[in-house]
Amino acid sequence: MNKNGCRNSILLIEDEENIRSFISTTLKNQNYKITTASGGQEGLHLAASFCPDLILLDLGLPDMDGMNVIKKLREWTAVPVIVISARSNEHEKARALDGGADDYITKPFGSIELLARIRTSLRHSSQMQDMSLTRQKPYHCGNLTINFENHVVTLNEQIIHLTQIEYKLLTLLAKNSGKVLTYTFLMEKIWGPYTDSNNQILRVNMANIRRKIEKNPATPEYVFTEIGIGYRMAEGD
Amino acid sequence: MHLSLQHLKSHFPGREAPGSFIKNALLTALILIIATVIAFWFFRMVPENSANVALVYITALVLTARFTDGYLYGIAASLVSVVGINYLFTYPYFQVNFTLTGYPVTFLFTLIISLVVSTMTSRIKEQADALVEREKLLMDAEKEKMRANLLRSVSHDLRTPLTGIIGNSSTYIDNYQSLTEEEKMDLVSHIREDSNWLLNMVENLLSVTRIHQNSMKIATSMESVEEMVSEAIIRFRKRYPQTELSVQVPEDFLMIPMDAILIEQVIINLLENAVVHSGSNLPVELTVTCDGTQVFFCVRDYGKGIPPERLENLFDGSYFHPESSTDGHRGMGIGLSICKTIITAHNGTIHADNHSKGCQFVFTLPAMQAGPANQVLPASQAGSLVNAESVVQENSAESLISIKKEETNE
Repeated sequence: MNKNGCRNSILLIEDEENIRSFISTTLKNQNYKITTASGGQEGLHLAASFCPDLILLDLGLPDMDGMNVIKKLREWTAVPVIVISARSNEHEKARALDGGADDYITKPFGSIELLARIRTSLRHSSQMQDMSLTRQKPYHCGNLTINFENHVVTLNEQIIHLTQIEYKLLTLLAKNSGKVLTYTFLMEKIWGPYTDSNNQILRVNMANIRRKIEKNPATPEYVFTEIGIGYRMAEGD
Repeated sequence: MHLSLQHLKSHFPGREAPGSFIKNALLTALILIIATVIAFWFFRMVPENSANVALVYITALVLTARFTDGYLYGIAASLVSVVGINYLFTYPYFQVNFTLTGYPVTFLFTLIISLVVSTMTSRIKEQADALVEREKLLMDAEKEKMRANLLRSVSHDLRTPLTGIIGNSSTYIDNYQSLTEEEKMDLVSHIREDSNWLLNMVENLLSVTRIHQNSMKIATSMESVEEMVSEAIIRFRKRYPQTELSVQVPEDFLMIPMDAILIEQVIINLLENAVVHSGSNLPVELTVTCDGTQVFFCVRDYGKGIPPERLENLFDGSYFHPESSTDGHRGMGIGLSICKTIITAHNGTIHADNHSKGCQFVFTLPAMQAGPANQVLPASQAGSLVNAESVVQENSAESLISIKKEETNE
């Protein structure tokens, strides 16, 4: 339910009949209102006439490139778009995210993962609208707490010392927790729009952060890597 | 067969494409004209030493033989130059006169030298071509063998889960009325299990398509070892949530050139083998270490080990698990041969051996840049080619980046 007490509506643009029916069934059971389209053109029309709260978009559509659908949508709406894509194509995913998509989910996915992504995106979009009203609440996840107002990060009640850049990176990820942030986005936000395309400095800083907050860098609890795309922070409690 | 065709072609320029004939003829003419110009210049400067003229033409002949295809152009050039020398540089000038004292001998020897030289040069060139050709054929044969093995094991390994899926779903549909809830649940969960297995197989096969078709090269970029390992573990946990793993990566931050998706696949395959085939529930260990030039990834289980007679051809895809076809448990044929392909394409090594309490698979990746030839990107990503290559080059000097623990604690 959104804040008006209505069910959230979701538009699904996907050409595969079987996948469409599986997603529709799952979402209907979770009480979402779902509309489906089998092609990009139809999807764009439905998006304009129904104004859904969220759009699930398959990138491989028969009638038009999924990237173009995102571009067309972004001309007039900021509705969250979750891209559905095949795994091996990490460049395509990064491009979709940099092109305006909010998140992506990799085929094949389970219903639990899909629902979690939808909830995250809906929450982020409603937070965007409330941003001016409420101050940012502290981020809690497991033993990690980030207090944005005091600029304090604690792990097991112990204060963690971070450099300026590490703090900026961590808070940026935490404010967008649950959502994947691309290398390009992070580089631009932290180092400015004209930085080198070499993202090694970002990797090194992330490695430092991991050594400070994760017990074992190889099995992280808070910050996850999406190879070839970017980073995703665990959803706060 | 291919080889002999190539051979024939070089002898008969008429059979070549017209473009190549024109190109060769023009080249021959150009070389001869340049030689004539130089010879004229020489002749003007030192008219009494006409031997230089012959030397200039012989040089031209060698060059012609070297840069054109086949004998014919060299022979034609030698005839032209012998007549040309007589016509241009011997008295009477601008007349062909073979009656000059001793000239028939000069003529004969120039002709012999040019023929021999042009034949020899052409032959050397042919041999070099043949060598390249033979190497290519050998490589093709190797690839063909790999592909055939892969195909064989794929068709073998795909049938089992598909049979399961078709059987279970048919049972469900046919006996929908009479099945208990529990039985239904059982059938569907079998379908899920088999489909998951199929999915892994497909991901394996898809990963092979990331390896450049002809050169067996891959698109590498500098990736963080711990990030790649952590993603592999997360993906593995999705499929085997109950399995206990112990993972160890180096304290130092390592970045090495690789295709991270492929290496992830290797790690997942090895972990899966350890879990499925070891016949033990003890935790599987994944340990990453680095000795400065190589990074070692070791997957170790505490199970029944691998029969020694199978160790030898474990990775070549020809290996079948005898039990696999009967008990429905799948062999590890494809998975391991794909691991081998991936690691070889990375210029790494992979091997398996038994230790006292089970077995271990170790693969290595070079920590340093092996050479610029490694960075081949598929044409579809040509846009990012420049980018990726520049990254690699900048890092090649310090491709191994380590941050010591002390620094991070500041």
